[in-house]
Amino acid sequence: MRILRKGLVVLKYAFVLLIILLSLGPFLWVLMASFKTNAEILNNSLGWPKSFRFSNYVMAFKIAPLSRFYINSVIVGIFGTLLNLLLLGMAGYVLARFQFRFKNLLMGAFSLSLLIPGAAMLQPLYLTVNTLGLYDKVVGLIIVYAGFGLPVSLYILSSYFLTIPKEMEESAYLDGASFIQTFFRIILPISKPGFGTAGVMQFLLCWNEFQFAIILTTGNQSRTLPLALYYFKSQFASDYGVMFAATMVVIIPSILVYILLQKQVVSGLAAGAVKG
Amino acid sequence: MVRKNKGYITLFLLPTVVLFIIVYAVSIVILFGTSFTEWSSGRKPVFIGLANYIQLFTDDSDFRKSFLNTGVWVLLQSTIHVAIGTVFAIILNMKEFYWKFARTVYMFPNIISGAAVGMLFLCMLNPDFGAVNSIVRLFGNADYAQNWFMDYTTAFFSVTMTWLPYAAVVTILILAEIAAIPESLFESARIDGASELKINFYIILPMLRNIIGTCVILAGTSMLQKMDIIMMTTGGGPGNETMNLPIYIYKTALMENNFGYSNSVGVFLIGFGLVFVLLCRNLFRIGSSQN
Repeated sequence: MRILRKGLVVLKYAFVLLIILLSLGPFLWVLMASFKTNAEILNNSLGWPKSFRFSNYVMAFKIAPLSRFYINSVIVGIFGTLLNLLLLGMAGYVLARFQFRFKNLLMGAFSLSLLIPGAAMLQPLYLTVNTLGLYDKVVGLIIVYAGFGLPVSLYILSSYFLTIPKEMEESAYLDGASFIQTFFRIILPISKPGFGTAGVMQFLLCWNEFQFAIILTTGNQSRTLPLALYYFKSQFASDYGVMFAATMVVIIPSILVYILLQKQVVSGLAAGAVKG
Repeated sequence: MVRKNKGYITLFLLPTVVLFIIVYAVSIVILFGTSFTEWSSGRKPVFIGLANYIQLFTDDSDFRKSFLNTGVWVLLQSTIHVAIGTVFAIILNMKEFYWKFARTVYMFPNIISGAAVGMLFLCMLNPDFGAVNSIVRLFGNADYAQNWFMDYTTAFFSVTMTWLPYAAVVTILILAEIAAIPESLFESARIDGASELKINFYIILPMLRNIIGTCVILAGTSMLQKMDIIMMTTGGGPGNETMNLPIYIYKTALMENNFGYSNSVGVFLIGFGLVFVLLCRNLFRIGSSQN
């Protein structure tokens, strides 16, 4: 019994160590390699770099129009999030607060969207975006991503609105505030935590999305960062260090957002799952 | 008040309804409608009844391989992946010194872009300079040059390893659920002399049925949209060894311009997902109360 318990403890630590190694290992190894020269990478794949030089990063921005992709990603991330939050904030508020005809139908339709794998919509969305004249435009991506975040944002925001006591609005109405004033002046400010959670999830979606970015854009004018890795894989291939640097450039913002806003990410994931 | 607000209710809902129609409703109508047609770019769709579906199941080995791979990945992800995440959550819940660090770090591969994950693994498993082969070489075999992603015998395994161990979302959901179990339950078990191991097995685990069911659904359905990592690493190859339904849809729709046919695969994918979700809901009796 004693031996069994000791064995379990050893097994536990081995498991934890393995998980940490698998999660951190690839990331740290590529980080190290991003400072190495080609020769170092080939001959000293596992060791420390001789010096921490940033020339690979500089080269990465020269070989691929990474700065263009970066700007696109930032624009898509910010506006995809703002659009999603504004629309779903308004809709979520009305759905949380008022009774009206077709409400259940609407809720049902919105949550059905969770059951559709994105890949099934590849060609239809391509056609729609093309018909609207938004193909290869950043605006097209912003609208499509705002739509993809619809079910999760709606759920997070309307559950948050439900926690706000009705008296808040009633006293605002008594003071003569209009519907729109009440929403933007009273409800929005106290719902900041809800918007924070939904916003972080939506930003990560926009920043990381790949499959629709690839079919809705062509040429470098409106491509986002994840695509840089795909399209310049072969250009980078002759210069490994640069390839590693480019990979880090894409990864680091997501990790920073996560570390800084861990609480929002965790509660966002939990909310999204309850919905599923 | 209700009457007065009616206009505002419409005003507040309308933009979201429009967004929903553009992104989802129109797509679904196009998807189902054109799945019964022969349709390639520049031409008008021509109705051909069930011909696309019949061809899928009788005369398309790439589709069968994609379906099989997707099925295997759904199965692995909804079992092993969820099990790894659950066990890790139970270990972290002991709140030993490393738990916060481990929880944060475990999330990294889940929070970064799939394209970047693909790139990380492409580098790690590179036959010449990849870390994995370098480690094998350290232990003697100096000429070891396994091409993990391009070798028929290892490609499927290598792709699977890019997502199977990374169950941080499961871990986080289960940790949150454990935190919601009332402390009094543990207290009384401890007073009765139950060991920590027994508490984990007989008290915590049964309480997690609903959330584990949810995790199984989330993990399984995530495999119905895996495209980025496969595109980055193998592109579905070698041959069709690592092809799945999303990659197959991408290939038929955007490289072969065979729209009607690819949309019949899309309809099939949605149906596959629905059957899986319903099956899991029944299996885990999600929604019904615990025990």
